[in-house]
Amino acid sequence: MTDPLLSIRELRVRFDTDEGVVQAVDGVSFDVERGETVCVVGESGSGKTVACESVTRLIPMPPGEIAGGEILFDGEDLTEASEKRLESIRGGRIAHVFQNPQSALNPVYPIGAQIVEAIRLHRDVSKQAARDRAIDLLDRVGIPEATARVDDYPHEFSGGMKQRVVIAMALAADPDLLVADEPTTALDVTIQAQILRLLRDLQAEFGMSIVFVTHDLGVVAEIADRVVVMYAGRVMETGSVHDVFDRPSHPYTKALLDCLPGQGQSMRPIGGTLPDLKQPPAGCRFHPRCPHATADCRTGTHPELLPVGSGHDAACVYYGPGYDSTVIRGESVSESRAADGGDAVADSDSDHDTTGGDC
Amino acid sequence: MSMHWYVARRVAWAVVATYLILTITFGLLAVAPGDGQTAFAFEAATEGGDVDEARETFDEITGRDEPLLTRYTNYMVNMATLNWGWSFTRNQSVMDALAAAYPYSLMYAVPATFISIVFGYAIGLYSATHQYTLTDYLGTFTAFFGISVPNFWFGIMLILVFAVDLGWLPSYYQTGRGVWTLANAKQLVLPVVVLSTGAIAGNMRYSRAEALEYVHADFVKTARAKGADDWRVLVRHIFRPALVPLMTILVADILGLLFAGAYITEVVFQIPGLGLLSYKAIIQQDTALVMATTLVPVFIAIVGNLVQDIAYTVLDPRIDYGDR
Ligand code: SF4
Repeated sequence: MTDPLLSIRELRVRFDTDEGVVQAVDGVSFDVERGETVCVVGESGSGKTVACESVTRLIPMPPGEIAGGEILFDGEDLTEASEKRLESIRGGRIAHVFQNPQSALNPVYPIGAQIVEAIRLHRDVSKQAARDRAIDLLDRVGIPEATARVDDYPHEFSGGMKQRVVIAMALAADPDLLVADEPTTALDVTIQAQILRLLRDLQAEFGMSIVFVTHDLGVVAEIADRVVVMYAGRVMETGSVHDVFDRPSHPYTKALLDCLPGQGQSMRPIGGTLPDLKQPPAGCRFHPRCPHATADCRTGTHPELLPVGSGHDAACVYYGPGYDSTVIRGESVSESRAADGGDAVADSDSDHDTTGGDC
Repeated sequence: MSMHWYVARRVAWAVVATYLILTITFGLLAVAPGDGQTAFAFEAATEGGDVDEARETFDEITGRDEPLLTRYTNYMVNMATLNWGWSFTRNQSVMDALAAAYPYSLMYAVPATFISIVFGYAIGLYSATHQYTLTDYLGTFTAFFGISVPNFWFGIMLILVFAVDLGWLPSYYQTGRGVWTLANAKQLVLPVVVLSTGAIAGNMRYSRAEALEYVHADFVKTARAKGADDWRVLVRHIFRPALVPLMTILVADILGLLFAGAYITEVVFQIPGLGLLSYKAIIQQDTALVMATTLVPVFIAIVGNLVQDIAYTVLDPRIDYGDR
C-alpha cells in the first residue's frame, strides 16, 4: 500500500480568545487515502471544521494557532510549510468548498472571472485558455448554457447553482484533495442529493480524494468510504462506513445513529450539550453525556483510540483491559440506559423533546 | 429597468435639482431687503459719492427696477450663460473672481485629497486586516486624534511651531510665486497637512469599518482557499467590494474637502482661494459674489451625486435599477 495522500497526526489547534484558550482540536489523527472519500462527522463545535481548515492553514491566525502535531500531505509536513508554499497548495492541490454558497462567491465579479482567477493562480495559461477551461468546468458541474452564463454575476444564480459554481472553481487546477465543509447543508433536500451525486461523479472522473465534513449521517451513508467521528476536539471512532454504521463501537456514534430516522428506533436526541472546550472535562470528554460512563471515564486523560476491528478504532475505556465491550457493541444505548437505571443520563425525560438535543 | 434608462433618469434629476436651486435662490434674493444695495450705497458714500444716485446705479446694474418675471428670465439666462454678475468689492466680474481664486484652492486641495485618500485607505485596510494588533490600535488612536482636533487650532499650532519657532516654513501664503516653484510648495505644506489630517482620519475609519465587513466574509475565505496571496485578497476581494459603500463617503469627502474644511484653512493661511473669496464677500455683503461662491459648491455636489450614482452602476452588479 502506498502512503496516504493526507495523514493528520496528533493535530492540536487552539484559539486564544478573550475568555480563555479554546482547545478546538486536541490530538486528532486520521488518514485520507488517494481517491477515497472520508467523512468527518460531528456536531457543530466538535472541531471538525477547524481540523480540516487547519490543513491549509485557512483558520484565522491569530487567534488560531496550530499548537502541535503533523499534517503530512503527500509526504510533506504542511505545519512547517511557508505561506508561499501553502498558497501554491491551496486551490492547486487542495481545494475547498464551503458551507454557504450564497456568500462563497465575491458579489462584484462575474463567476467566470472568479474561476479564471483560480485557474491562473496555478496554471500558466492565457486568459482565453483559462476562460475556455472555466466554461468547460461550468458545463461539467451542470450549469446549463455555460457559455452564455460565464459572465453572469453570482446574484443571478440560485443557491444550488452557486454551489456548482463553487465546485467548478475548486476543480480549476485539478486538485488531489477536495475538502468539502458541509457543502449541502444550506441547500434544499433535492438539491442536496444532486450535489452529492455530482461530487461522486466528479470524484470518479478526476480521481481526487474528498474530505467531507458534515453533521448529517444520512449524507455520510450516501458518500463516505470511511468515517471519522469527532467530538469535542477528539476522534471518537473511525472506520469504514460499513463498520461504523453496522457495528458502531463508541457510545457517541451509537447515540448519533440513534438519532437517524429509519434505524429501527425513534429519533432520539443526545442529552446534554457539548463540553466547554476552554475547560474540557477530565477523562473521557463524552462522559457527562454517556450512558455507560464509569468511574474510570471521569478521571485521567481522554481514552486512546483502540482497535475494535480491522481498520476500525474507537476511543472508549470499554475496549481496554478489564472491561466487557459487548456492553456497548451488543446492545443499543437506550436498552442499556434502561438497565442502568438511568443514573448517568441527564436526559431520561427528554426522549420526545427533539429540540433539546443535537440530532 | 435598464442601466441607460437609470442613468438618463439620474441626469434628468440633476438638471431639475439645479433648476429648483436656482429658482429658490432667485426667490430668496427677490424678497431679501437690500441685497447688497445698502452696502453698495455705503461704499459709494464713503468714497464721497451720492447715496441715492448709487442706489439707482445699483438697481440699474442689477436690473432691480424691472418686473419680477423679466428679472427672473434675465437671471436664468445669465446663470445659464455663466454671466454671474459683477463683484463691486473687487471691481471685476464674478466669473473672473472665481477663475482667479480657483487655482489657489486646487493647489492645496488636490494634493490634500490625494494624500488623504491614499493614506486613509491604506491605513484603514491595514488596520482591518490586522485587527487588535498594536498597529491597529495605533492607527485608531491617530484617527481619533485627527478627527477630534479642530482645523483652525491645528493650523495655528503648526504655524507657531514650524513658521514662528523653527522658521522652516512661511507662516502665510504669498501670491506671485510660480505654481511649480519650491517656494510655492513650501508654503503649501502646512495647509495640506492641516487638511489631510482630518481627512486621513475620516477615510481611515470608514475604510477600516467597511473592510472589516469583508475581512471575515466567506468569499474572502474562498479567495484564500483558491491560493490568492494576501495582497491579492486585500485588493481584489476586500477592497473592491468595500469600494461600493465607500463611494458615497469618497465623493462626499472630496467635496467636503474642497469646500468646507478649506474655508477655515484658507482664512488661517491667507490663501486667496474660493474660501477666502467667499469669506470676504460675506463680510463685505457682496451679494453677487456670495451667491456665486455658494452656488458653485452646490452645483459640484449635484454633479458629485450624479457621478456617484453612475459609479454604482459600474461598481455594484447587484444594483436594482427599479428601486432607485
Ligand atoms: S470512555 Fe466512558 S464515558 Fe467515554 S464513551 Fe466510553 S464509556 Fe462513555
